[in-house]
Amino acid sequence: MVPLPLALPFAALEVGQHLYWQVGNVKIHGQIFLSSWVVIGALLTFVVLGSRKLDRDPRGLQNLLEYLWGYIRDIARDYIGEKAYRDWLPFIGTLFLFIFVSNWGGALIPWKLIHLPSGELGAPTADINTTIALALLVSLAYFYAGLSRKGFRYFEYYVEPTPIMLPFKIVEDFTKPLSLSFRLFGNILADELVVAVLAFLVPLIVPLPVMFLGLFTSAIQALIFATLAAYYIGEAVHESHH
Amino acid sequence: MTALLDPLLASHGSFGFNLDPFETNIINLAIVIAGLWKFLPGFLGSILERRRTAILADLGDAEDRLTTAGAALAQAQRELAEAQQKAAQIRSDGEARAQAIRLDSERRTVEEMVRVKQGAASDLSTEAARVTQQLRREAARLAIEKALAELPGRLDGAAQSSLLDQSIANLGAS
Repeated sequence: MVPLPLALPFAALEVGQHLYWQVGNVKIHGQIFLSSWVVIGALLTFVVLGSRKLDRDPRGLQNLLEYLWGYIRDIARDYIGEKAYRDWLPFIGTLFLFIFVSNWGGALIPWKLIHLPSGELGAPTADINTTIALALLVSLAYFYAGLSRKGFRYFEYYVEPTPIMLPFKIVEDFTKPLSLSFRLFGNILADELVVAVLAFLVPLIVPLPVMFLGLFTSAIQALIFATLAAYYIGEAVHESHH
Repeated sequence: MTALLDPLLASHGSFGFNLDPFETNIINLAIVIAGLWKFLPGFLGSILERRRTAILADLGDAEDRLTTAGAALAQAQRELAEAQQKAAQIRSDGEARAQAIRLDSERRTVEEMVRVKQGAASDLSTEAARVTQQLRREAARLAIEKALAELPGRLDGAAQSSLLDQSIANLGAS
């Protein structure tokens, strides 16, 4: 992304500034990679620690992990259906946990303590590239789910219930990743910006309600993303004839 | 591109720490984290604790059911063994009784056969005796009739007297 020329009346707020890394011909946003690695590392540590000593009596981290697993399983089962949800549970769970921990990490970890040469660390999901990547993965996932389960009969879905639906269904294939990625990106970036602007204007106490609201919306966004992904996959594997 | 970027990066300095409390929003973050630290473990902890108690109760129930089922199984196996023993007992009793009934009926048949044979033999001899008797009687009757028929022709005075003499002689001799 090109740094946006920002005409706000305060100077310290950095928007559109990125830490660019050059990989071959591609310039990548380094700060997103750094914070993603932190998020991934935190998740891996959490899962490894929580599943290291499995006991019949679920305590501490194991209990929390099992609770999360049950929560994600319920989402997947509700939206994908009893038959196919087991294949997609890991995918839905990864999406939910990664987005949730990214959002909360962006809101809770004092990233700004670390000074980068350019840009600043934050939630990986506040960058459009991350959310587009996730949304395209969802698109691939539901195409794969439908094709692998139903073969070419998957395309019957485009003319159901009537062939008039065909153009709308085709447009939907493009709007799904678009809406998924922009919803998540917009919410998280807006939250970060509101907090940053408020903190810039009134450094103490005033940003607090917005920060708590941000935690709430962050969790909701993770839930929405995972739920919609599950719903799209469920739509693709749904058998309308039986 | 790198050549373009390098001066840009250099102008922004390098990796480091920014310890300005207002620029980093650290005070508000600390308050938020402290609030979460205070309330989240209680909220989440109560949910997790409820879950854990439910799971432990389920496990306890399942174990109780396992114990009960194990006891019932042992009981049923004991009863099965008893029933098998009883069945074997009944079977051997039945076999003994069948053997006894078979022997008894064999004995009775043999006796009956003997009796029937004896009856037949005695019937035969009685009949033979009766027929002999009848033949004898018939022969006697025929002889008497023949004698009576011949008697008027042959019984003249001389013969009568000789017969009388002979009878008297017989009387005297006896």
